[in-house]
Amino acid sequence: MIPEIGHIFLISSLVLSLVGGLGPFIFNKELPIRKIAILMCLLVFGSFFTLIYSFVVDDFSVAYVAQNSNINLPIYYKFAATWGAHEGSLILWILSMNIWLLAFISFDKNRNTNFSNLVFGVCSLVIFSFLLFTVFTSNPFERILPIPPLNGADLNPSLQDFAFTVHPPLLYFGYSGLLLPFAISISAMLSGQSNKDWASSSRPWTLLACSFLTVGIGLGSWWAYYELGWGGWWFWDPVENAAFVPWLLTVALVHSLIVTENRNLFVNWSLLLSIFAFAASLLGTFLVRSGILTSVHAFALDPERGLFILGIFSFFVLGGLAIFAFKNSTGNKTSFYSLNSKEFGLLLNNVLLVVLAVSILFGTLYPLLYEAYTGGKQISVGAPYFEFIIFPFSISLGLLQGIALYLSWGSTKSFNFLTKLILESLSIFLLTLVLLFVLFDELIPASFFTIFIFSWLIVGSLLINFSFKSFNKYLDFLNRRIGVLLSHTGMALLVLGVGVVSSYSNEIELILDTGEKIEFLNKDVELLDIKDKNGPNFISKTANIKVLDGGRTFNLQTEKRTYFPSGQVTTEAAIDTGIFRDFYISMGDNFKGDSWSFKLQSKPFIRWIWLGALLITLGTFISSINILRRKS
Amino acid sequence: MFKKFFSLMLITIIYSLVSANEPKVIYPFEDSVHEERFLSLLNELRCPKCQGSNLAGSNAPIANDLKREVYRLVKSGRTEEEVKTYLIDRYGNFIVYDPPFRPDTYALWLGPLFIFLITLSIILVILLTRFSNSKGNQ
Amino acid sequence: MKRILNLMPLVVFGILVVVLYSFLTQENEQLESVLVDQLVPEFKLPALENPNNILSKSSVNKLPALINVWATWCIACRVEHPFLMQLKNKSTLTVYGLNYKDDRKKALDLLENEGNPFEFSIFDQQGKLAIDLGVYGAPETFFVDKEGIIRERHVGALTQKVWKEKFEKFLNEDNDV
Repeated sequence: MIPEIGHIFLISSLVLSLVGGLGPFIFNKELPIRKIAILMCLLVFGSFFTLIYSFVVDDFSVAYVAQNSNINLPIYYKFAATWGAHEGSLILWILSMNIWLLAFISFDKNRNTNFSNLVFGVCSLVIFSFLLFTVFTSNPFERILPIPPLNGADLNPSLQDFAFTVHPPLLYFGYSGLLLPFAISISAMLSGQSNKDWASSSRPWTLLACSFLTVGIGLGSWWAYYELGWGGWWFWDPVENAAFVPWLLTVALVHSLIVTENRNLFVNWSLLLSIFAFAASLLGTFLVRSGILTSVHAFALDPERGLFILGIFSFFVLGGLAIFAFKNSTGNKTSFYSLNSKEFGLLLNNVLLVVLAVSILFGTLYPLLYEAYTGGKQISVGAPYFEFIIFPFSISLGLLQGIALYLSWGSTKSFNFLTKLILESLSIFLLTLVLLFVLFDELIPASFFTIFIFSWLIVGSLLINFSFKSFNKYLDFLNRRIGVLLSHTGMALLVLGVGVVSSYSNEIELILDTGEKIEFLNKDVELLDIKDKNGPNFISKTANIKVLDGGRTFNLQTEKRTYFPSGQVTTEAAIDTGIFRDFYISMGDNFKGDSWSFKLQSKPFIRWIWLGALLITLGTFISSINILRRKS
Repeated sequence: MFKKFFSLMLITIIYSLVSANEPKVIYPFEDSVHEERFLSLLNELRCPKCQGSNLAGSNAPIANDLKREVYRLVKSGRTEEEVKTYLIDRYGNFIVYDPPFRPDTYALWLGPLFIFLITLSIILVILLTRFSNSKGNQ
Repeated sequence: MKRILNLMPLVVFGILVVVLYSFLTQENEQLESVLVDQLVPEFKLPALENPNNILSKSSVNKLPALINVWATWCIACRVEHPFLMQLKNKSTLTVYGLNYKDDRKKALDLLENEGNPFEFSIFDQQGKLAIDLGVYGAPETFFVDKEGIIRERHVGALTQKVWKEKFEKFLNEDNDV
């Protein structure tokens, strides 16, 4: 009964979103948009809630629950299993689109102008199309009747983990947040809204979407690091690229909107970029959910779903671009800026970010293109390619970002700051080298470049050499621009983390007997024992390892878990975390008796990567909230 | 500071006297150049059976066999290129994450540069038309 | 000029949609097989039946033949086992086994209980010949023609249907010559 109620909620919201979506376009009437938005949100939430309920009470007559849960699954994971697979995550996605829409309407002071109605209409149409997709191809409430299974197949073990329960909602929230800039761009073109107005109403939402995308991707990377058991933090896997490309475009949009709002420039570009960013998030969904990228060796291609998403993609993206080509009524002011202006700096920033995004997309799709034009030959494009591509872009973006905050609109009067900037970043560079030498006893030239970029960014982001009359003035300035300073500093920390971890990491793979003691990077590592452990839905071999690091002694437990009923084996890594380095042990295979293989790794500065991502998240979040507060 | 350093020294000396057993490294190398080559190869070779994972990141039986084979080849002094060719001859280009630069992959490697140049020329066209337009208007 | 520029994004994304559509409808080809049209690689491995009997390429001499990669831990291999037995009884084609990463005793027990379709099985515990053949896992089947050249490869269980579609033609071709 309960799942049917959820299904009814879903269908009602489908009808409602169609009415809301067609309203502004066909009836040309003023609808009570806020009320409709609230009702839609409640209906979708109700539907989501009944799905959660079905999981929590183990209703295995619901096919989706039976496929993704199990009686023995801990209650917290039953809850999170709701969005553990395709159908449920779609509902969550739709729910977040509704929340975005509701938030937009609630903060919008010019409610019921033509522009707001249009934004509401576009959003409702997108929501409608997603609901249609769910109801017709991916209904999570489908029942297995008349004889439901007694137990479910279980949630994929590697998803049974804290980070993975919060990572998808945040990421979906970011993805779906790109709906607002898209809808605003379309509405601006249709209604001829002034550039300053639409850009300033788009900017806080774009920033907020960027914030959620960043934290979602960051959590995903952190999860991969400790859960997949071999210590990598980014794999250039198609699924990751599908999230990275929209992120790059969103960052570009955040910057180009500044120019559109303040200078009435890059108008067409911002309009387009809003469409591109949304398109990229739909494209990512398409690539991941149609299975075309991952199905090379699994045979679970679902062309129906893929076709449906492609239909949604074509309708909205091509529709939006057609409006851009034929109906764009926003005016584009011709104005000039010189090569040393902030405008030009932001132009470069956008070119670099967008070309990088397109290149990564190209590399991700290349194996498919290759297969098509060679008639079935296969090729892999992975980390070495993407690292090769991203390197020149990140260097140029880094150099640019360091001076970005010093540039002024129109033209920058003096470049005197440059000498100080260079000197200061050189001293920070040297200090960092000294720190690294003290910590790791060696200097690796391969890392010098990234460390210099880090120093350059830190000096550039914190504006420590900007001439202020007093320290209080400086603090005041920091306070006013805290969002941008935080996110730019976050970028600096991220660069340092990436640079150090990729050149200073160490690893060794060895076999240990119980009681055996070895030495690794001046640490004594002793395998104390290996015990059997029983979890709620798994059995495991747990290795207890004692580490003596300088004067500090600590114990680490790494596990090899076998989850029933799937029989899937996962590795739980043992990590001693630290600001300057992580010590990472993961259990490998069993050799004779009680001797097992282990992989020992030292991962210096890896925390800085996520710390950087966190600062970017915070910075964009604060900027967004500040803008919203100022407006209301 | 000194105290800590001293005790560290002491520990190290005692330790080196007491513990004589060599760690049983799975893939031991005498030559550090070989070791680095081996590790970088593991990162650049794809596990054929797994979904999007390299040899370093996989514990699948086939990945372990291939690791052992790569180890044997590197140990016998083969270069990175030779090892890759060896595996490509058996598993096809699919096995390497780093596609070679050949006529059939020119598009892949030069694509980003091409995209960059196209973007630059579009921007130039836009800026130039705007410049000439406004000159005409004046 | 401006018109064309404004139309450009639409055109580019139109092309993208067509390309994506073609990906969806693209036949999902089987894995690429590099060894097709190449000679069977050299090897030196013991026989499953007798560890002292060292086999090599020259032992695979009753051609044309199938080389079937199998193991006791592989479930799909059980599925194709009856078909291999059938093939052995009905056809003149020789079937060689490549026992892949297996336990010798278990493998022999299985052949004892369910019948042995193989002329002999090569015991490849370390997966050495398997790597030379570009094997991903078990089961896999290779067709070797009279000249000792691999002509076809199939990943997954060998069924009547697969046999008809992929392998039977080579047998006829060999008879014609």
